[in-house]
Amino acid sequence: MATDLRISNISKIYPGCIANDNVSLQFKSGKIYALLGENGAGKSTLVKILSGVVSPDNGEVFLNEKNLKLSSPLEAKKNKIGMVFQHFNLFETLSVFENLSIDATEDNKSLRVRINEILKKYNFSIDLDVPVLNLSAGQKQKVEIIRCLLRSPKVLIMDEPTSVLTEQETEELFISLKKFCDEGILIIYITHKLKEVLSLCDEVAVMRKGKVVSVSQTHNERVETLANKMVGQKLAKIKKKINISKNKDEIFKVKHLNFYSDDPFETNLVNLNFSVKKGECLGIAGISGNGQNELFQILSGEIITPDTSIIFRNKEIAKLNPKQRREYLMAFSPEDRISQAAVPELKIYENVALNNFKSSNFFEKGLVNEKKIKEHSKKILSDFSVNTDNVELKSQFLSGGNLQKLILGRELITAPELLICYNPTWGLDVGAINYIHETLIKINDQEKSTILISTDTEELLKLSDRIAVIYKGKLSKIMPSEEVTPEKLGVLMGGGSID
Amino acid sequence: MSLDISFIGILIGSIMASSVPLILAASGELITERSGVLNLGVEGMMIIGAISGFALMVITDNLFIAIVGSMLSGVIISLIFGFLTQSLLTNHVATGLALTIFGIGLSAMLGKNFVGIPGKEFPILFSSLRESIPFFGPILFGHSIVLYFAFALPFLTNYFLKKTKLGLVVRAVGDSPVSASNQGINVILVRYCCILYGGAMCGLAGAYLSLIYTPQWIENMTAGRGWIALALVVFATWSPIKVLIGALIFGGITILQLHMQAIGFRIPVQFLSALPYLMTIIVLVVISRDSRKIKLNTPTSLGRIFYKEK
Repeated sequence: MATDLRISNISKIYPGCIANDNVSLQFKSGKIYALLGENGAGKSTLVKILSGVVSPDNGEVFLNEKNLKLSSPLEAKKNKIGMVFQHFNLFETLSVFENLSIDATEDNKSLRVRINEILKKYNFSIDLDVPVLNLSAGQKQKVEIIRCLLRSPKVLIMDEPTSVLTEQETEELFISLKKFCDEGILIIYITHKLKEVLSLCDEVAVMRKGKVVSVSQTHNERVETLANKMVGQKLAKIKKKINISKNKDEIFKVKHLNFYSDDPFETNLVNLNFSVKKGECLGIAGISGNGQNELFQILSGEIITPDTSIIFRNKEIAKLNPKQRREYLMAFSPEDRISQAAVPELKIYENVALNNFKSSNFFEKGLVNEKKIKEHSKKILSDFSVNTDNVELKSQFLSGGNLQKLILGRELITAPELLICYNPTWGLDVGAINYIHETLIKINDQEKSTILISTDTEELLKLSDRIAVIYKGKLSKIMPSEEVTPEKLGVLMGGGSID
Repeated sequence: MSLDISFIGILIGSIMASSVPLILAASGELITERSGVLNLGVEGMMIIGAISGFALMVITDNLFIAIVGSMLSGVIISLIFGFLTQSLLTNHVATGLALTIFGIGLSAMLGKNFVGIPGKEFPILFSSLRESIPFFGPILFGHSIVLYFAFALPFLTNYFLKKTKLGLVVRAVGDSPVSASNQGINVILVRYCCILYGGAMCGLAGAYLSLIYTPQWIENMTAGRGWIALALVVFATWSPIKVLIGALIFGGITILQLHMQAIGFRIPVQFLSALPYLMTIIVLVVISRDSRKIKLNTPTSLGRIFYKEK
């Protein structure tokens, strides 16, 4: 039976922000629909409303002309609306089978039979009896999809599904999604990646600031037209810079980096060796969870590993802590802005003061020199175009993009020789990403070096001079970026070999 | 006092008896914590169970009513904790501590008129077998029904958590309340139930002390056992069977060091008194080294406040 999903005049207002402003859309089965928008455009809120997690202030949802009261996730499930969230809703410590059986109504035996049927039908290979925390992100997503399929859904909503997948996994996902679509499941695909919209979806609705600004057929659209609709202004396209650093000095050299951990949540690192030249950007690609966290922490000095040699500006720094490394003009931008890079409850200037140097004189005789820190913070805010000049603002009220600008500003204002950043544009919108990318390119232009650990292949190809891939704690050979293609990276990121 | 075989049997029997309150309270708290709720009010709930059990026994002269009443009182006092932490979203640690202080104070007040009243003899099962079989008799027979229940409880708890649907739901809620809620599980309800169950077990643990182990009411008679039970749960890394082992070691060394003191070993008394605590921690740390398993048993959301998005 054909499915017809209609949302009419949905509004949802949070304190200080209109998340959905009178949104009306219509979807029919047999097609894949894209819901496109920047972070904060209101996609996630709309999806949460459709899956019953939050209830709208106004408006209605109709499935086959039946008015749905989606007051809880259970209601959405009962009405055959399946949802795969961006941040998986799985129980990490439970086994795959336990995860799937938790809301099943049938007995375990017949459930297992049905799950195996699904695994076979769609060519998924997942061990049902291992804890979910042992699975890769792609496998976790499959578990989520199976969970939806078990309830034979009419509507399947995918929220930013490819943010954690390799190129190969993404392709596999697209094949599965097309299969589901052919079987009559209505698919709504939420993303901010334009290329995916064009290659996968039939129709696209663009959201901006809580409103639907355009609905169109994807074959009438191009990347540029969609991007402009999404951002609402013409974007300057960043050019990939030309690799010029050939005979430069090596400023940073890592030898015999090994890391061993008992913790099942951590990845062991096996004999990493690499170096960075002056003015160069070394990209380290990989799917998250392949040792990037550990690598970043070792490079920044949060973890000290024995027998590792790290030479920076001709000094051995392997035993130094992050603060001492900063004194030698290294700078760090961790992945997790909220919990690692900044303290959300502190004011902007207090966060700036956390990164204090001997030379910065933020503290005198154990007392805080508030005036000096505030001046310094104001300079960061204006130099790095953070959209506030109020240094007293608590950092948690900054958007992701502005917080990242603040963090980069804090790190860069001391003119470090080497910046190590880990997923600097994670979860940011196009405007902010462009700004961060420009900033990173500028650093290289000024003959300063960067190490960019990122899960975003496009970003790596755009910014790196040389690229290596980390997979299960091992580093591939380092390749000049002009020899690297997304396909090659995808193979390496999935554990394959390209030779 | 000769160390013959029947003496060892009696010794083991008494060790088992002294472990019962720890097993009961820790098993109850284990379920509460597996659902992600950290209730530090164990000591308070136990002492309330002890006084209400004893008082009901004196008033009604009926041990059954006394036992059930003590569990109900545990439920009622844990309901306060549940309401504060789950409905009013207060901090688990602070609320639990307040519950203990409140419980100790309230029990002292209620218990004023019951000090010095002799307790009633609690019926023991299979008393004839206890005498007739050497060594195993005093170990296996002649105990109260509560003791048998207590020793079955860790196994039942283990079965409940690992094999039943409801146990799965409890673990899921403790692992990730947000995911559970998104799966349509009523997280608050599950947590309430686990809190109330924990309260009932703590109440029973208290009643065991005042009705069976030392049948009388003494102010503050739980004497820190609630805190030991709490520590046991953590050091046993949320595994019911390890809770049982820990409780037996603690009970065992407590009894043994008393005997050692009585015999007059040339070891400082203070050290002997500290021995149960030390040994329990050492043994549990040693048997819980596998960090993998710990991760799988640890309720990830323990002590975190959960509220539903509206």
